Amino acid sequence: MQLNFAAREVAIKLVYYGPALSGKTTNLKALHELTRTDSRGRLMTLETKDDRTLFFDMLPLVFKAETEGGAMNLRVKVFTVPGQVVHASTRRLVLQGADAVAFIADSQVAETENNAASFLDLRTNLKELGRSMRDVPLVIQFNKRDLPNVRSDAEIDDLARRGKEPVFKASAVHGQGVMESFFGLLERAWRKLDAEHDLTRKLGIQPDEFLAKAASSLGYEGKARMLCDAHVGGSGKGGA
Amino acid sequence: MSEVPPNQDVVGDQPIALEDVVDRDALDDLCKSIHALFGIGVRVYASQGALLANVANELELCRYVNEVPGSRAACGATVIAAKSVAPGDDGEVTHPCFTGLAYHIVSLVHEGRRVGRIVLGPYAPAGLREPPPSLAQADKRLDVARASDLAATVPRVKQEALQRIAGHLKETLELIIFSSHKAWVTSKLHLYSVRESYRELQDKTTRLEQTLTRLKEVDRLKSNFLATMSHELRTPLTSIIGYSEMLAEGIAGELSAEQQEYVRTIHAKGEQLLRLIMGLLDLSKLESGTMSLRQAPAQIGPILKEVITTLAPVARKKEVELALDSDDAPCELAADAERLRQVFINLVDNAVKFTPKGGKVTVRARVTAGAAPSGDDDDEAAGAALLAPLLKQVEVRVSDTGIGIPAAERVKVFEAFYQVDSSSTREYGGTGLGLSIVKRIVDAHGGQVSVEGNEPNGTVFVVVLPSAQTRRAALPSRVPPALA
Repeated sequence: MQLNFAAREVAIKLVYYGPALSGKTTNLKALHELTRTDSRGRLMTLETKDDRTLFFDMLPLVFKAETEGGAMNLRVKVFTVPGQVVHASTRRLVLQGADAVAFIADSQVAETENNAASFLDLRTNLKELGRSMRDVPLVIQFNKRDLPNVRSDAEIDDLARRGKEPVFKASAVHGQGVMESFFGLLERAWRKLDAEHDLTRKLGIQPDEFLAKAASSLGYEGKARMLCDAHVGGSGKGGA
Repeated sequence: MSEVPPNQDVVGDQPIALEDVVDRDALDDLCKSIHALFGIGVRVYASQGALLANVANELELCRYVNEVPGSRAACGATVIAAKSVAPGDDGEVTHPCFTGLAYHIVSLVHEGRRVGRIVLGPYAPAGLREPPPSLAQADKRLDVARASDLAATVPRVKQEALQRIAGHLKETLELIIFSSHKAWVTSKLHLYSVRESYRELQDKTTRLEQTLTRLKEVDRLKSNFLATMSHELRTPLTSIIGYSEMLAEGIAGELSAEQQEYVRTIHAKGEQLLRLIMGLLDLSKLESGTMSLRQAPAQIGPILKEVITTLAPVARKKEVELALDSDDAPCELAADAERLRQVFINLVDNAVKFTPKGGKVTVRARVTAGAAPSGDDDDEAAGAALLAPLLKQVEVRVSDTGIGIPAAERVKVFEAFYQVDSSSTREYGGTGLGLSIVKRIVDAHGGQVSVEGNEPNGTVFVVVLPSAQTRRAALPSRVPPALA
């Protein structure tokens, strides 16, 4: 996070991590589609010919929020990392300074090992950057729910209950579960930053209020709670 | 909140500087085309006020106004204001000029931040009939009638038309900023990735180097330990052998037959142990490179003859026939004769040991044309036609009619402590060091040793030693010792 107190500006960095072809870029494209024009910037994708992310994608979301302490600028930059194994160093570069990570897993049963390998890679890279899984808020998205040969809902619910991270189900190509995962991630990122930097007092805004403002700026007036809670598992909060 | 890492300008949220991401010449061309199209001056400023493009024809009105000191100052003030006036929440503002003309200002936004501004003008607003009172107030020397005439010649522009032009230019410029920024990010990130990969490689290399150094040190310690231990073991052993020999010779009084037998056993086993220790010592010396080979011109014939003479009694006792078959062709070796003797003593002794009574051990020596020195790579194989006549080698074959060595075991026999039959009940004694010492000495002479089968039974040890000249021919293409 970058907090410019004088300008009342908070910049948050969210990173979408996951194995190659799990739909990180698709998530970002859908997020771009599904948010209000005046709050989103241009989607920057650095792609190769064959549609594989070479470096990263980045979507800036910028909006104002009126608070007790005055207007506040919120800048959220959402990044994706390149999933292919060879781009290890780029992944680490993009991961640097992330305030929260959404892990985009592929629901297909055959991808189970790739999901796990990518997750371990995430852990290694965080460690290399001097951070640990404990201090980076994480949400998990099981993407590609629309495909055949995927893990059943019941299986995912069971898996989600075994872990402590909230698990979202999505079909990013159809825009399903994308906003939910994003808000789930934004909430966890903000609550963590609030706890560390006392944003409630410094900026005069409560986390729930913040999420409500973010939702309305992005075109989801009054839906923040519902979006955030559309997950299974995760510290006993909410259900699908 | 922590300190900004070096690549934060790419993957973080640092504001961009317009002058970094936009090519000034290209920007100038774009502004020129707008100017040509609409006849309105275009200026582009970065957020810090730097002028990046300036395309405008001076209006006659402006030229006249600038001739008079008072109005010149007022003009300057207007231009400065147009450069810095806040464009409000909409990012768009019209700034009036004291002459009645106006400037239209639009801010350039990138990722929600204002990174610069476009200033269009001066132009005459559509509704302008006559100059405002501010014109006359600027300087009383100014001829208002003339200024008014000049103002009338400035083309009128409707506000909405102007906003459309400004909006279009803003969109075009923002697209250029985005594309340039993207290209800038790509190149930066590429650079950082390469740097990161390089750093990773360097880390790995350093770790490998450290491991290598440690391993070398461990290896040296091991060799030192072996050398020291062998020496320390030998000292008391010499006393055991010496005193048992004295006892056996009756120096301390006559021994009974049984005592004599026991003492001789002690003596024999002591000798056996001493040979083992000496072998270990040799091996560790060879390994640590502390065994110096005194290389001097030598011929193979005399060395082999001496070996045969030395071992003839052993063979005779075992009733094994021992024969030397040498072509006696001259071939100068650069060798340590003492060490080569050790090689062939070992080989022939082994051959006799593993050959049953009535068998035959043959030592056959021939001088042959040498192969071009390890012709694997082109450099070494070059000029073979010129070098071949000089390349001679000595091939010594020690063949026996003994138990033989299975093909699969043949490579391993040169490893230290290796024995084909390592069971505790094995028939033949020995330390398992002899052949590994043989190999190391032959290697040190630039030669090769190998094992072949001897049909129908038995083994042939083949030692090939390059002539002194061959070794000299091979030397230049090797890595200089200083660099090795």
